[in-house]
Amino acid sequence: MTALETAPPRLQGPGIEFSGIDLNLGRTRILDKVSFQVRAGSVHALVGPNGGGKSSLIKTLLGQMPHQGELRLHWPASPGTIGYVPQALEFDRGLPMTVDDFMAAMCQRRPAFLGLSRRHAPAIEQALARVGMLDKRKRRMGALSGGERQRVLLAQGLVPEAQLLVLDEPMSALDEPGVQVFEQLLRDWRQAGTTVLWIEHDLQAVGRLADRVTGLNRRVLFDDTPQQVLTPERLLELFSSHPRQQEASS
Amino acid sequence: MSFEDIRLAIQAWASAGYLPEALAYGFVVNALLAGLLIGPVLGGLGTLVVVKRFAFFSEAVGHAALTGVAIGILLGEPYTGPYGSLFGYCLLFGILLNYLRNRTGLAPDTLIGVFLSVSLAVGASLLLVLAGKINIHILENVLFGSVLTVNAQDLAVLALVSLLVLGLALPLYNRIMLASFNPQLASVRGVAVKPLDYLFVMLVSLVTVAAVKVIGAILVGALLVIPAAAARLLSQSLKGFFWLSVLIATCSTLAGIFLPIALELPVPSGAAIIMVAGLAFATAAIARGTLPSLKGNLG
Repeated sequence: MTALETAPPRLQGPGIEFSGIDLNLGRTRILDKVSFQVRAGSVHALVGPNGGGKSSLIKTLLGQMPHQGELRLHWPASPGTIGYVPQALEFDRGLPMTVDDFMAAMCQRRPAFLGLSRRHAPAIEQALARVGMLDKRKRRMGALSGGERQRVLLAQGLVPEAQLLVLDEPMSALDEPGVQVFEQLLRDWRQAGTTVLWIEHDLQAVGRLADRVTGLNRRVLFDDTPQQVLTPERLLELFSSHPRQQEASS
Repeated sequence: MSFEDIRLAIQAWASAGYLPEALAYGFVVNALLAGLLIGPVLGGLGTLVVVKRFAFFSEAVGHAALTGVAIGILLGEPYTGPYGSLFGYCLLFGILLNYLRNRTGLAPDTLIGVFLSVSLAVGASLLLVLAGKINIHILENVLFGSVLTVNAQDLAVLALVSLLVLGLALPLYNRIMLASFNPQLASVRGVAVKPLDYLFVMLVSLVTVAAVKVIGAILVGALLVIPAAAARLLSQSLKGFFWLSVLIATCSTLAGIFLPIALELPVPSGAAIIMVAGLAFATAAIARGTLPSLKGNLG
């Protein structure tokens, strides 16, 4: 074991505290007194059925949804960078936009049609290399497979380096090599002390890769380590239409 | 150096035989200068119009210009350049449309359909009132563009609007595009999505109104769409998309102004410009269907 592997992770990322978060859209209750904590520097998975409020909670965290209750980010020092990897992009598949163009549009001010800026080119190249897309940087985004596009979305989440990463189902379209890339990224983030909040449907992957998992179906149904809570009974309750009122196990 | 100096110099060179004979006429030079100012801006902004799927909106703003002209003339503005009412009405049209899109959740094409119809109804009614007061043929110039009436004031307005649009749209180009790809991601990356949407609507409105004199209210929206659409068919990267769109828009504008004069064709400038752009689009479509390097790309 090397010195690097034995060294404690640098706690760069913030802790997150959701406390009694309520969210109503019209007459519909989307989130009901959602309370749990995300430990700084951990990989925290959020699981639950579609319509269970996972994406709404993410929007709340990103400041895009008016809500009641308290949401606190506990940064170790001054507030750092938040990265976000969406599930998909809305764009015209025939648009003549290469992977490099897309990365330029995401990461730099200089208009993307003028090419990569000198300042951002090394970071973009490194990010594409980390997700295994460097050899496809001149291909059009619309010509990529779903898994390749997902890797590019992961790459944009790496520039600039974020201390808090919010991932919205990043594995949904990944093929096996893509899954390996993602697992390596998770290892890197954990080692760097980056806080990762990760929405995921693949419960096997959550069981394998997350430090902690919260089950959300409008309210928090469980919040513990994957080994403790990813049991058939808990999952049956989580994915049933009318979950029983239950306190979070934390 | 003012536009007047440039015009006089070009006229002198044409009279001396160094440039085509048609350039000896002041109005031709003015019109070409106008084309040189507005063509690249329309081509460049057009790429964002296509990316954001705002084609129908730019058409609607162009049509709204007709009502703006009618209001301006009714309010006593000069019929050769009622810019106050034109800019005022078209900006209001765009801003209100965007506001209602955000507030009502209606699909943009539905709202544009409503706004376009109502605006045309108001415009048609006002024009009927105006019919007894002014020579209604003046409105043909507004509808289809006229190179005969481009004056120094029009060139100054075009230059100002072009500078403003370039000054705002170029530094914000990536952000405007990003906001259309994924508003949530854009927001996390520090893009003020809604204000930027309003700004884009205002830029399209401004450039549309500024180009009405040359291209005409009916056709101005098309020059925001056709060059970018043709460039999209031929390009493999944003670089090619942007610069090809600028090139096609500029060449179409200059050719559409110059060819009817040089060939003595009784075709309004706006119609000629759009026909040249349409020819470029048809060529691009054929090239895409036949050239092996372009064939098979998702279009």
